[in-house]
Amino acid sequence: MPVAASAIYFLNLRGDVLINRLYRDDVGGNMVDAFRVHIMQTKELGTCPVRQIGGCSFFYMRISNVYIVIVVSSNANVACAFKFVVEAVTLFKSYFGGAFDEDAIRNNFVLIYELLDEIMDFGYPQNLSPEILKLYITQEGVRSPFSSKASDKPVPNATLQVTGAVGWRREGLVYKKNEVFLDIVESVNLLMSSKGSVLRCDVTGKILMKCFLSGMPDLKLGLNDKIGLEKESQLKSRPAKSGKTIELDDVTFHQCVNLTRFNSEKTVSFVPPDGEFELMKYRITEGVNLPFRVLPTIKELGRTRMEVNVKVKSVFGAKMFALGVVIKIPVPKQTAKTSFQVTSGRAKYSPSTDCLIWKIRKFPGQTEPTLSAEVELISTMTEKKSWTRPPIQMEFQVPMFTASGLRVRFLKVWEKSGYNTVEWVRYITKAGSYEIRC
Amino acid sequence: MAPPAQSQRSPSPSQPSGKGEVSDLKIQLRQLAGSRAPGTDDTKRDLFKKVISYMTIGIDVSSVFSEMVMCSATSDIVLKKMCYLYVGNYAKHNPDLALLTINFLQRDCKDEDPMIRGLALRSLCSLGVANLVEYLVGPLNSGLKDGNSYVRMVAAVGVLKLYHISVSTCLDADFPDLLKQLMLKDKDAQVVANCLTSLQEIWSLEASKSEEAARDRESLLSKPIVYYFLNRIKEFNEWAQCIVLELVSKYVPTDSEEIFDIMNLLEDRLHHANGAVVLATIKVFLHMTLSMADVHQQVYERIKAPLLTLVSSGSSEQSYAVLSHLHLLVMRAPFIFSSDYKHFYCQYNEPFYVKKLKLEMLTSVANESNTYEIVTELCEYVANVDIPMARESIRAVGKIALQQYDVNAIVDRLLQFLEMEKEHVTAETLVLVKDLLRKYPQWSHDCIAVVGNISSKNVQEPRAKAALIWMLGEYAQDMQDSPYILESLIENWEEEHSAEVRLHLLTAVIKCFFRRPPETQKALGAALAAGLADFHQDVHDRALFYYRLLTYDISVAEKIVNPPKQAVSVFADTQSSEMKDRIFDEFNSLSVVYQKPSYMFTDKEHRGPFAFSEELGNLSIDTEPADNDAVSAPRIEANDKELLLSTSEKEEILGYGTNGSAYNAPSYNSATTTGGSQGHLDLVSLDQPSTAFTNASSAMDELFGLGMPAVPGSVLLLNAKATIESNAFQQKWRQLPVSLSQDISIDPRGVAAMTNPKALAQHMQNYSMHCVASGGQAPNFKFFLFAQKAEEPSAYLVECVINSSSCKVQLKIKADDQSTSQAFSDLFQAALSKFGLS
Repeated sequence: MPVAASAIYFLNLRGDVLINRLYRDDVGGNMVDAFRVHIMQTKELGTCPVRQIGGCSFFYMRISNVYIVIVVSSNANVACAFKFVVEAVTLFKSYFGGAFDEDAIRNNFVLIYELLDEIMDFGYPQNLSPEILKLYITQEGVRSPFSSKASDKPVPNATLQVTGAVGWRREGLVYKKNEVFLDIVESVNLLMSSKGSVLRCDVTGKILMKCFLSGMPDLKLGLNDKIGLEKESQLKSRPAKSGKTIELDDVTFHQCVNLTRFNSEKTVSFVPPDGEFELMKYRITEGVNLPFRVLPTIKELGRTRMEVNVKVKSVFGAKMFALGVVIKIPVPKQTAKTSFQVTSGRAKYSPSTDCLIWKIRKFPGQTEPTLSAEVELISTMTEKKSWTRPPIQMEFQVPMFTASGLRVRFLKVWEKSGYNTVEWVRYITKAGSYEIRC
Repeated sequence: MAPPAQSQRSPSPSQPSGKGEVSDLKIQLRQLAGSRAPGTDDTKRDLFKKVISYMTIGIDVSSVFSEMVMCSATSDIVLKKMCYLYVGNYAKHNPDLALLTINFLQRDCKDEDPMIRGLALRSLCSLGVANLVEYLVGPLNSGLKDGNSYVRMVAAVGVLKLYHISVSTCLDADFPDLLKQLMLKDKDAQVVANCLTSLQEIWSLEASKSEEAARDRESLLSKPIVYYFLNRIKEFNEWAQCIVLELVSKYVPTDSEEIFDIMNLLEDRLHHANGAVVLATIKVFLHMTLSMADVHQQVYERIKAPLLTLVSSGSSEQSYAVLSHLHLLVMRAPFIFSSDYKHFYCQYNEPFYVKKLKLEMLTSVANESNTYEIVTELCEYVANVDIPMARESIRAVGKIALQQYDVNAIVDRLLQFLEMEKEHVTAETLVLVKDLLRKYPQWSHDCIAVVGNISSKNVQEPRAKAALIWMLGEYAQDMQDSPYILESLIENWEEEHSAEVRLHLLTAVIKCFFRRPPETQKALGAALAAGLADFHQDVHDRALFYYRLLTYDISVAEKIVNPPKQAVSVFADTQSSEMKDRIFDEFNSLSVVYQKPSYMFTDKEHRGPFAFSEELGNLSIDTEPADNDAVSAPRIEANDKELLLSTSEKEEILGYGTNGSAYNAPSYNSATTTGGSQGHLDLVSLDQPSTAFTNASSAMDELFGLGMPAVPGSVLLLNAKATIESNAFQQKWRQLPVSLSQDISIDPRGVAAMTNPKALAQHMQNYSMHCVASGGQAPNFKFFLFAQKAEEPSAYLVECVINSSSCKVQLKIKADDQSTSQAFSDLFQAALSKFGLS
């Protein structure tokens, strides 16, 4: 049984019910109370997202200031349930346009009830594709795709699409200018030891696409990944071009990608949905170019003073810039006074998070600004031993840089009318969890 | 949704009670009902919205039911939907009013717009009113044959809803057959998927009742049907694919060629963006190759990458769900993942539930080549501010130490922890050092040197204190100060709240006495005196036991209390392998997250207060054929097919019970439960598992036989002929509050004799405790007993639930005179502990 959810609740942080939808009556109506009493009002909240109370299991997720709770009474598929919640939220967001929070839910509760009715029936997930649902549930109200009224714009072949075989794209789309936007977004996860050796490092990347294409186009994407290139050179029986090739550890694709073809020919070919979507996700562990190196030295001088020196080195091309760089350097709780010197950007002490926050808005490549700070501590009797140092954390965005070195080699668009398309490609690397122990 | 029962309860104080508003709404709706003026629909919409929002926050708006129904005659779909939602919410509790809606729903089911037909049919089936089912059959029948796939899709689930309202109506109308036909021929994939889910649920539920349904359920797993689904798999949406893959995972292919065909066909699913599809595919792969060891291993290699991707993407809740599965696989085949250990390093900001799983995986993949790195990483976490995390990390280091042969470096690390001088770190480490010493006595010198420096004042946690005291006793020779530390601890006897610590203190001091008599004699005397005066049953008993042993013969006492010990070679696994296989069978479900098979949390009988038979794997079961009596005695077969234990295993347990000397309880640390019988087990397991058993228990018997009262001065005598009518008992049971509720363990030999409830009832009769009612089947038995004081009509009522596989007993005692309930409980436990021993 994949999900068979008995009920779904949306609660705010106080525990008030924003939405409740009971799909099956095998659970009592007081399940929200059980959740409130046994999970929300205890320290248990946040200790585990799957909990059993009585005969029921609760799966809950916090998204902005809302808890979404699924109640099941059977041995349900947890992964599927969480994925369902995530997809449902994406769907709601696409309806409200952006934010998903308590206010958005209050303002749109009728719409949410309508959607909940469609996306799940008797606890089984149905169609969650925004593309299709938007055909007959609109922000203004429901519109029947079958409506015979002349005023309504007829939607071609809607019957098929509502329950849909080609669920992700409708026919008859027309754009004056045919454009494709491709964003390669990578996040680098790093864990570096205090001695400067890389303990763990990987990149999770995704390729986001925005398509404004007429008709039913067929797209083919070429990347500089190793397997794809090898296969290509094999097919064309000519040696692979020299240059960097990337080894992808694992790839997952949007449902529009023809997986059979990927498996046999290693090409990414697809008929894209209209508008924005996530084409693929990948993971790389080998040959990652770290954009930043952090060299911290933290000295504790006696019981009440500390000296902090942090040097951050940018190791990408000199012509590139990193944006929004934030370096969080932890200091002990009993910090009393701090003074800084920075060669670039601004630093301040944040007492609420117990760290020094050093911000550099624009950080050019091949530079190495430093921060040196003196921290004075209140001497306390209770803290007997030295303070345990949490890691330094870093946030950044580096446009036009990929930590993996992945590049788009080509993006081909075929459509039977043979129109020209404009393709835009952007790259950006962000910090995932970028931690340096000190 | 919120039934009136809930809504009548006053909602949270911040919300309006809504009485006035509801009657206002009622009036406004009534005015609108007949109106055909333009703009009415907009006003209606606003009003309906209000009704729905009241309903959501839990205000009872069922009183406007008839007005809502009157207003429902509209062509506006949003209005209709809101109305359907409202009706679906309240119909169940207002069946009479629900009848009012049937009319307009049925009419809508014939609407020319398929959207409205579908919506109406869905609402009609969701009413859930049993006496209206006759109205469902017609619309469902035509719904299944509707020309529009949206309606058919709704109808397919509708059949399942009907089944849940009225099984007979659904089956009489032959809906399952219709569904099956539809499933095999419909062009629309979602219709097919819904037919499949409905059929699976109906037939699974029916299978226990009728063989035909069981056959039908099997037929879903036949080759043609499975291939039909496999060939169409790409037409289904992601959720439906999960359902199909789940079906395929149960299919048993005829030969290996077929297995490879299916796997080749499904391999591309591993690249699907939806993690649920990937997991479902993994399940298919794992289950199909179970019988082919080498391929099975290749499958692990193949699925590693997708699993690791899933773990690192998505929210922490999602990654927790996936990690639980990865955890299961890592535990099954640690060597395959041993090179991927870096993926299990914890990030600073990850929630604890994720970190905990990762720690366990790090522990289990540790081998010769990566231990150094893993332990180094774990040591980083020990300094973590998050105390639970630090504790778990220390435990992980300890576990690795217990797994590995080369423990030099690890022991050094552990000892460094002790020098960190953080209370929680020290406490956790002490417990580990103790276990380590039990396995590697050769390390005692190094450890003792460090442990000796720890001031017992800095150790407060009972578990850690007990461990420290154990070491003080065990290594009294090597620790200079041992007798003096123990002495100072005994001086503070009164301030020691934990009985466990006091028990250990008694044992440690007597051990110390055997090694260094002149220095310890005074402390021993003080300890025994304090122990004898102790109000805790176990402590008192143990002190008395030691005292008598010592007066009897000191050399015998030494043999019993402090015999030469062998190093523990393997610590018991906490979970049996059948249990693990069982969980593996249920891959991709809650079982994996809870780490227990589904029957343990879905079946009512097993959800009970017991940690069901998890200790089973702990017991070293003697497989020697059992005494005939125990085995051949008529036993009621467990009717629950889902029970894990097969018959033969049950017999083993019975057999093991009759051979008491095989009881080699490694539950050394688990002396957390209270009660007389537990103390007696503990005594034995503490010091001499095998030979001392009979001695000790006979000594205990003697104690009880002497009628030595538990608490001096409160001798409780029971009326041997007390009787009570079962009705009177029930009434009394309801009236009295529970005055005592206890969980205790009982002697496995007693459990072995528990072939049926009657045996125990007879046994208790001898102790003037009369069984009023009994019942249950292995492994759970339940008894209600009654007893009365000898002189006065003050009564004791007992509910006693015995789980024979985990040897646990749950007692609930109600008494007229509550002040004596503890004394009664002691008496009861004493009686119970003798069951099966005579």
